[in-house]
Order: sequence, then structure tokens, then C-alpha cells
Amino acid sequence: MAPGAFVRVRFPTREKPRRPGLLHIGYVLGATAHEVMLAYTTSQPWPPGMKLPAGARIVDAGEAARLNQSSAFLMRLDILAKLPAAKAWFPDIDQPRQGIVAIAPAELQAELVRLAVNLARRRRELIQMRGP
Amino acid sequence: MAQTRTKSPTARRGSRAIGARKRPAKVAITLRLDADRVRQLQAIAAAENRSLTNYVETALLRDLARHDEADRVITLYAAPATTPRIRPEDVLRAEGESDAAYAERQALLVELWSIPDSA
Repeated sequence: MAPGAFVRVRFPTREKPRRPGLLHIGYVLGATAHEVMLAYTTSQPWPPGMKLPAGARIVDAGEAARLNQSSAFLMRLDILAKLPAAKAWFPDIDQPRQGIVAIAPAELQAELVRLAVNLARRRRELIQMRGP
Repeated sequence: MAQTRTKSPTARRGSRAIGARKRPAKVAITLRLDADRVRQLQAIAAAENRSLTNYVETALLRDLARHDEADRVITLYAAPATTPRIRPEDVLRAEGESDAAYAERQALLVELWSIPDSA
């Protein structure tokens, strides 16, 4: 699965975290030959007045259109899934395009990697704070 | 060091039948603190119109919530049978990705892969 791809995926849910969930567009943060690390995306609008989570990145309608998506959406780099590259999770994986709707341009990929690196650093610092 | 003892649900007279209780029994602990500190805590608890026990419990719950928040910085759902760790060379390179960008992605992915499942 190509790094930087927006792909159709049955992203797991909090209620059933070990099972394929409803079909969503996920963002491939990275992959190995057999597994994929995805970030969650949603077109549900964020409640007005509520602070965005640290790992959120808004993709406005114009940028969404350039990524072959019909409306603005929210990327959540703080909600990740580690999934096998298998049909149960990626229903179109055996199709020529593998369910990929778009590949993020290099600048967006770099921005999203930086955002995830900052989150990972923040997590590391909090874990160290919690150490013995 | 704190000592603990659990109050059995059956030990209470007039208590409802076992299984009818909605919440598990509370566990009593013995907590040893400096006398000065206890006076300080009692003063704060009194100012907030709470018992010392309630104040200490509230403070602990607040601390637990902070720890939960730390865990939630990144929520990772790991599908069954996925690998717990990868090597940098396992990470696929994006088309046209520069060496620097690839190195950054590799380091990130190795770290993310090792995050325990949040479910």
C-alpha cells in the first residue's frame, strides 16, 4: 500500500476495535510489505467552539477536491490503526487501484509526518513524566 | 506504604442480595502521611466542604484522568496478529521520496509500530 495514499478502509471503531468497521477513507502514514499504519479521517464537522485535538488537520473543500474527495474533511493523526494489508480491512485491495482515491502531494505528506512526529514526541514526554 | 482491606458486600446488615449491587465494594486503605501534611489536607478539604477521604479520592481521580489524557495523545488500534515492532528497512519508501524525508518517515513508523494497542 503506497505511503501517502488516501484509501478506502474498514477502519476499526472504539466499540469493536479488533474488527473491520464501516468503510472510511484512511490516510496511509506508512506501510511495510504486509501491514499498513493508517490515520483516521472524517467528514463529520467538528463541533464549533470546541478545541481541535493536537493531532487534527483540517482539509478544506478546495484541498479535498484536489485529493478527489467531494467535501472538506478532518484528518486525525492521533487516531491510528495498524492493519494487515488484507481484503477484510481493505475491500478493494485486489482491484487495480487497491481502493486508493488519491496520493497526497509530497509537501502534504511531509507536513503530516511532522505532525505525527510532534505527537509521538509529546506522547514520549508524557510517558517519561509518568516513569518511576 | 498504604495498606488495603476490602469490605465484603455480605458483611453489611440489611444490604441487598449479592449481584443486586450496582457498584463494586470500595476498598479501604490505610495511608500514612506526615502530620503536617494531613493538617494541610484537612484544611483544604474543610474549605471545599468535603471530608478528608473525599478530598483525597477526588485528587487521586483527577490524577488518574490526567494519566488517561496522556494515553490518549495517540490512540492506536492494532488488528489481531499484527507485528509489535518493525525495523527501519521494513518501511516502504514513497514514490520520489527524498532520503531525508524517508529517514524521518522510517523513524516515525518504527516508533508508532511499537505503541501498544489502545483497545
